[in-house]
Amino acid sequence: MLFFRSEEDVKAWCNTRGVAPRPLVAMAQLWELATTWYATRLEPNARRPGPDEMRRIFAGLGLHDAFWDPQADTFG
Amino acid sequence: MDFDTQLKLTIYRHFARTGEAPPIPELAAQLACSREDIRQGYARLRANRVLLLEPDGETIRMAPPFSGVPTQHRVEAGRRKYFANCAWDALGIPAALHEEAVVYSRCEQSGTPLRLEIHKDGPEPNSWFFHCLVPASQWWVDLVFT
Repeated sequence: MLFFRSEEDVKAWCNTRGVAPRPLVAMAQLWELATTWYATRLEPNARRPGPDEMRRIFAGLGLHDAFWDPQADTFG
Repeated sequence: MDFDTQLKLTIYRHFARTGEAPPIPELAAQLACSREDIRQGYARLRANRVLLLEPDGETIRMAPPFSGVPTQHRVEAGRRKYFANCAWDALGIPAALHEEAVVYSRCEQSGTPLRLEIHKDGPEPNSWFFHCLVPASQWWVDLVFT
């Protein structure tokens, strides 16, 4: 899970490694993910989102495809 | 509060206070238990995907979003300094602390440094991207690689 300055940088990095680029996430979307996952991490009732909750979180940010499905058997 | 929750909170609050993983003797003293109790607690927290341990079963590699080892993703909040496990966790540390912070990292392709201010309501405007090579279903297969 890495930062890239531009989409072109992502493509170049993936080309070098012979892998397909994955969905891009903007910084504002990443902040939503970070707060959803970690805002209660220092509290007694903190817990990780379950699979259904993860799907809802990702879908709410426009991240819909199988890449974001925590229970997908394969990703193609 | 059960033992594992107490252990988890003590670990996380130590990371938040110091930026480092807590020593086992300190945890055992705080929780009035044995080193073996801590080891067994660590194993249960690992099974529940709360911690990632080194092979010795005693060293915390990750207590997400905090990293027990130095990484390229650094966070400064006040005078405290932290290492994050990945780009996601770099924003996760200010989110967990509920504090303003500055994230330091880099573009993995160009090496361009990233300095990102995180305010109470989120990051300053920024056009960079987060990219994850591993699909969500496989994140915990090799979390260090992810």
